[in-house]
Amino acid sequence: MSEQTASSVRYEEATKRYPGASAPAVDRLSLEVPAGEICVLVGPSGCGKTTAMRMVNRMVEISEGDVLVGDRSVRDREPAELRREIGYVIQQIGLFPHRTISENIGAVPQLLGWKKDRIRQRSAELLELIGLDPELGDRYPAQLSGGQQQRVGVARALAADPLVMLMDEPFGAIDPINRERLQNEFLRLQAEIRKTVLFVTHDIDEAIKIGDRIAVMRDGGRVEQYATPAELLMAPANEFVEDFVGADRALKRLALMRVSDIDLWEAPLAFVGQATAEVRAKLAEPEVEVPFPLLVDSERRPLGWLSERDLAAEVVPSRADSPLGPVLERDDVMRDALADLLQNESQYAPVTNPQGRIAGVLSVEIISEFLGSPKARTDEHDATERPHG
Amino acid sequence: MVSAGAIAAVGEVGEGFFKERSSDTLPCQAREAHLFCFDWARENIDRFETPTVQHLELVVLSILLGLVVAFALAVLAHRRAWLRAPLLGATGVLYTIPSIAFFFLLLPVTGRGRDTAIIVLAAYTLQIIYRNTTLGLANVPTSAKEAARGMGFTDRQILWRVELPLATPEIVAGLRIATVSTVAIATLAVFIGAGGLGTRIYGSANLNFPTTILIAGAIVIAMALLLDLVLLGIQRLATPWRRTAAD
Repeated sequence: MSEQTASSVRYEEATKRYPGASAPAVDRLSLEVPAGEICVLVGPSGCGKTTAMRMVNRMVEISEGDVLVGDRSVRDREPAELRREIGYVIQQIGLFPHRTISENIGAVPQLLGWKKDRIRQRSAELLELIGLDPELGDRYPAQLSGGQQQRVGVARALAADPLVMLMDEPFGAIDPINRERLQNEFLRLQAEIRKTVLFVTHDIDEAIKIGDRIAVMRDGGRVEQYATPAELLMAPANEFVEDFVGADRALKRLALMRVSDIDLWEAPLAFVGQATAEVRAKLAEPEVEVPFPLLVDSERRPLGWLSERDLAAEVVPSRADSPLGPVLERDDVMRDALADLLQNESQYAPVTNPQGRIAGVLSVEIISEFLGSPKARTDEHDATERPHG
Repeated sequence: MVSAGAIAAVGEVGEGFFKERSSDTLPCQAREAHLFCFDWARENIDRFETPTVQHLELVVLSILLGLVVAFALAVLAHRRAWLRAPLLGATGVLYTIPSIAFFFLLLPVTGRGRDTAIIVLAAYTLQIIYRNTTLGLANVPTSAKEAARGMGFTDRQILWRVELPLATPEIVAGLRIATVSTVAIATLAVFIGAGGLGTRIYGSANLNFPTTILIAGAIVIAMALLLDLVLLGIQRLATPWRRTAAD
């Protein structure tokens, strides 16, 4: 379609005063969202985050200051025309009950005067993009589940290939399991379409998961901190942010990391058929980190943990006495890895590379050391690549 | 506008008939107690054709006029909330005026005939159609309107493409009630010379001859049911989403 697919959004001292209210709902907000990034506005109820978001498409009229989409002030634009260039998703979804799913998705293209064929084609394209059966296109919204309806809501907002997307607690009314799925789908979608997204939520976990940048707001739309999720977790700017992020921010950081982000331990390996004396010698070395030998096959794929009894034999047996327990992959999210370890009541878990070969061993100890180390507080590198899984 | 025939039709029913038949061997209509005379009905059913057509015209035109006016008022009240209550009150007052009185009140203004009848009948429909239309508009989910606005629908587009389609079930429901009651009230149009099936009910000669009243009454009922069915069909055709939502 158009060459440009996303525009930056810039607030310049944007202020909203409601008549009769003593304090402005949004007070001189300045914020820049680079094109193609997801900016999450997060904060307690009534902090002005939704008002701030709605200034962009003039659902809220700006009292003072300005908001620029691309380089153009939204104040110079005809509201209806401006809104057709900006995707809009709300918590209540707001699908038109009297129109089919395809017609709903084609709502903005229809306003823009697209030809019928083009609209139909675009609707089909978007149904595919959001992973809905094309046959659902002829159904009415009431025939779809809540999760499906919300996907359609996103597709409808994307229909005319907007430069900016505004999403107001889009997954707020969805049950936790489906919310998680929708968030993942949305992140996958965003990796493809690269829109500039303003995303409002009051849920800090959602903000951390979704946002490239997070603006933590408090009363009057005051931005207390505007930073990447990792920065926010590692270095909250003040007490308000710290409180809002929560006491468990160390744990939250684990959600941003993958197993590969951490230095793993090396396990003493024992190959099937190897002399046990060699293995015992390896265990006796002072620098050994894992006190149990890991049985691997000739391809270095982990088979199990060897016990004292196993080592009493002449050669390493083909089956280990102790079960393998959880096996992690380098791409696993650290939080899930820790959960696996705790759930299986195991101290150690072998970590494999994509070929299934052993890459190292993760232990509860490594994680706790990591969380306690200064590295955990200052090293930003770990969190730059967000696990979208 | 008054057709001379329509006025003449009042009270005319029995006379010619009695003259023709009175010499014969007492047909049923000449007997003292009778309820319905099939012989007469078979031979004279065509006498009901013109009044039926007139009646249908009265009903359809009044409903259309009532719909246009009530709809305009409802849309106006939808935009300006302060108008809602006064308009509901005003249409309510119209609704409470006794029909005969209403006809005669208008006589000096619009004269005898169909126009007066249509104005009065339309006035009676206002209350129901207006109330149902405002109700229908009020019941449109806020989220749909909010989403429409956020997507760049203008106020007019929201009204015509979102609100009115979604208010259709209530609007048609109002039309159905209004239509049935108008079919009944239109029998009174005879008193200002607007014809209709009332001509076959309120003639003085008819008092002693219930057959014509029964036939006219049956046509009135059939017309009401038929129009109701037509409107029901329109409603179902106009709101396909309500059918599928149930399965």
